[in-house]
Amino acid sequence: MRYLLKHLGLYMMAAWASLTLNFLLPRMMPGDPASAMFGRFKGQLQPEALLALREAFGFTNEPVLTQYVKYVSHMLRGDLGVSVAYFPAKVTTVIGTGLMWTLFLTGFAVVLSFVLGTLLGVYAAWRRGGYLDSILPPTLVLLGAFPYFWLAMIGLYFLGFVLDWFPLRHAYDDALAPGLSLPFIGSVLEHLALPATVIVVATLGGWMLGMRNTMIGVLSEDYITMAQAKGLSQRRIMFSYAARNALLPNVTGFGMALGFVLSGSLLTEIVFSYPGQGYLLVQAVRNQDYPLMQGLFLTITLAVLGANWLVDIIYVWLDPRTRGR
Amino acid sequence: MAMRLMRGGALAMLVLIAATSCGRSRRGSASPAARRGVLTVSKEQQASWIRNFNPLLAPDGVRWPTTAGVYEPLLIYNTMKGEYVPWLATSYAWSAGNKRLTFTLRQGVQWSDGRPFRAADVAFTFALTRKHRALDLHNVWAYVDAVEAKDDATVEISFNRVYVPALFHLGQQPIVPEHIWKNVADPVTFPNEHPVATGPFTEVKVFQNQVYELGRNPHYWQEGKPALNGLRFPAYPGNDQANLALIGGEADWAGNFVPDIDRVFVKRAPADYHYWFPLVAGTVFLYTNTTRAPFKDVRLRKAVSMAIDRAQIVKVAMYDYTKPSDGTGLCDAYARWRSESAVAAGDWVNHDVARAERLLDEAGYPRGADGVRKGPDGAPLKLDVNVVTGWSDWVRAAQIVTQNLRRVGVAATLKAYDFSAYFEKLQKGDFDLSMGWSVEGPTPYSFYVALMSSHGVKPVGEPAATNWNRFTSAEADALFREFEATNDPEEQRRLQDRMQMLFAENAPSIPLFPNPSWGEFSTAGFDGFPSKENPYAKLSPNNPPECLLVLTELRPK
Repeated sequence: MRYLLKHLGLYMMAAWASLTLNFLLPRMMPGDPASAMFGRFKGQLQPEALLALREAFGFTNEPVLTQYVKYVSHMLRGDLGVSVAYFPAKVTTVIGTGLMWTLFLTGFAVVLSFVLGTLLGVYAAWRRGGYLDSILPPTLVLLGAFPYFWLAMIGLYFLGFVLDWFPLRHAYDDALAPGLSLPFIGSVLEHLALPATVIVVATLGGWMLGMRNTMIGVLSEDYITMAQAKGLSQRRIMFSYAARNALLPNVTGFGMALGFVLSGSLLTEIVFSYPGQGYLLVQAVRNQDYPLMQGLFLTITLAVLGANWLVDIIYVWLDPRTRGR
Repeated sequence: MAMRLMRGGALAMLVLIAATSCGRSRRGSASPAARRGVLTVSKEQQASWIRNFNPLLAPDGVRWPTTAGVYEPLLIYNTMKGEYVPWLATSYAWSAGNKRLTFTLRQGVQWSDGRPFRAADVAFTFALTRKHRALDLHNVWAYVDAVEAKDDATVEISFNRVYVPALFHLGQQPIVPEHIWKNVADPVTFPNEHPVATGPFTEVKVFQNQVYELGRNPHYWQEGKPALNGLRFPAYPGNDQANLALIGGEADWAGNFVPDIDRVFVKRAPADYHYWFPLVAGTVFLYTNTTRAPFKDVRLRKAVSMAIDRAQIVKVAMYDYTKPSDGTGLCDAYARWRSESAVAAGDWVNHDVARAERLLDEAGYPRGADGVRKGPDGAPLKLDVNVVTGWSDWVRAAQIVTQNLRRVGVAATLKAYDFSAYFEKLQKGDFDLSMGWSVEGPTPYSFYVALMSSHGVKPVGEPAATNWNRFTSAEADALFREFEATNDPEEQRRLQDRMQMLFAENAPSIPLFPNPSWGEFSTAGFDGFPSKENPYAKLSPNNPPECLLVLTELRPK
């Protein structure tokens, strides 16, 4: 427990640091939001109206420090401000339209990829030099080297457009109303299949290789030989003795990879017109929409921190040594 | 102004490959929505929809149908015919030396809640834009004194100065119902989720993050219209996704850029898939910075223009969808105004390398030993050509421009910036040459004001809303003032001729090509789209409120 509490403090520090970066980074971008606004309306607006709108948007020329204090206090109250690109909608409303779908897609794909990759790694190491071990790792590493969106486009084009096996866009069939009905859930899964597969294919290799390599090291340990000598079942040795110990580095990697996968899934979302955060982030950057950018980065940061917290808990459960201290 | 983003060509390329290999089906198929009589429109590229139907905000920030099918103006300007179509007003008249504008309103128009539409609603709408400056998008209160409802059917607008071009913005102001909006606390931040309006489509039937659907207005004033049962808007986050939907027959109407459209789109179902790209969406310019050398000198502006091979730009960058600009810079929306003598005087748009070289020599920029021209101060003539990253048609055009300039000894470099950085440089006058769009209105007046009027000019370093080339001339200012005061067609024509001549003589910036107004449609489920054969209005959905003219004509098959 002390281990978890100690880490909690660390997480608070990390959250504060990322909040601050979150505030600073958009302000260091070239171009200023007011002229981006001019551009977005492309002559539809006269300067006088624009000036009035700037006030409505809450652009200020206050010192950065005052802005920062305001920003932090608003954040603590859960008030992320008003989006510029989607004025007059609140940032929380804008993010709300897609957050669930992004978490759903990314969460599903990451967990599936991790479990599948780890299992494959265990089997590959167990039957070292077998078919699985010699064919799969190079193939997956090759696939993983492609950018996500490229795989996504190939998938969308061949499996969706040419073969018509999968829907081309969106998270569910437009004709259905969202709800807990069987057709709706079926439709969600159908629409999830292709984007999730793309992310899984792109990330599987890393998990498998990582697991395989540590597992091989663990398999040469003395306690494995002893377990063999005791006559334990192969299954038990494979999972409870070897895999459990070999899993630790992969679990650490899981927390770190989440950030990468999240950014990769943003691109995948755009290709599949998935109603998530991906396109919002593009819009926010294009329009210099600070409040929306801050909101989006905040959700991403919180997701990564949350996942790492989860990893810590799993660690404590997997590795008794952490409990002792 | 309707310059669309033309991003990532990868998917477009795949589609291209497919189009060549499988052009099998000859007819498109009607989508399930089309079979219900609901038109699917691909407009606004978004991943998920935010509900906002506030017609007083700038059209780009609210959902497209707000000013294209929900709320209506008094008049609609029809670009193809060059005339105002009476809409909520049946007629308008100028009086008191053009300082008073009177609208006679249509009788029997009802709001979608059944209440009558009256002159008080019009006066109220303008009162709102006066009270909230952010809603006065075109700054009409700079010249308007008062808007009064004389009786239920008459609205009178008085001016503090004569300004006839005001008709365009006053006539096209979307009108909101007083009985609803008087209770709105802050109309600037009001998302207006349940619109009450006079337009053909007012009922929001479905609104989900990835699709929304509008139904008919039960009280619509045009007998038997609209013939459509509704409008449907799936969310497509980018051009590629929107084009896939168009090619697959899901979208019935779109205003997308489609590369090589005959092969990619039409060939899949020639009987049903059509497009029409009239060259009425403004002009793409190569803006020159006339505040500093070398483009202070008109000879340099003309020489650079002569060095540019527009035919190649049109072919390579624009898939032959357009043609080279002439010396007036005007697009085809102003074809009826075009002055032949100005076109003849503007011969500096013709590709003529030898003449360009001569003119550069004459202007005092001879070639140095290394082939690069040197200025009077001995410094090599180095120029940047600014363009937006990812606007692939512009980038290709700018690449050709830099190659052309290097041929005549100008060391030109292509500089691609993100949009906001690019636009900041353009507005603040921090560039040599920059690609850019033009400002459009019903007559060439609006176009030339944005290029030659001293009115909007700001010092270098301060952002200017228009006149980015910062060219001014007393003669132009006088012409504009005269034009603002007259509504006599003969006089207007005379003044417009002189504006064109002034442009052709001074070349304030370099016109490259008129921009096509993108519009595609499928007749698998619907009839009545405007086309080259039946040009009753602009096809492109990119220009509300002109889209009202189309939406009221369309009918299910």
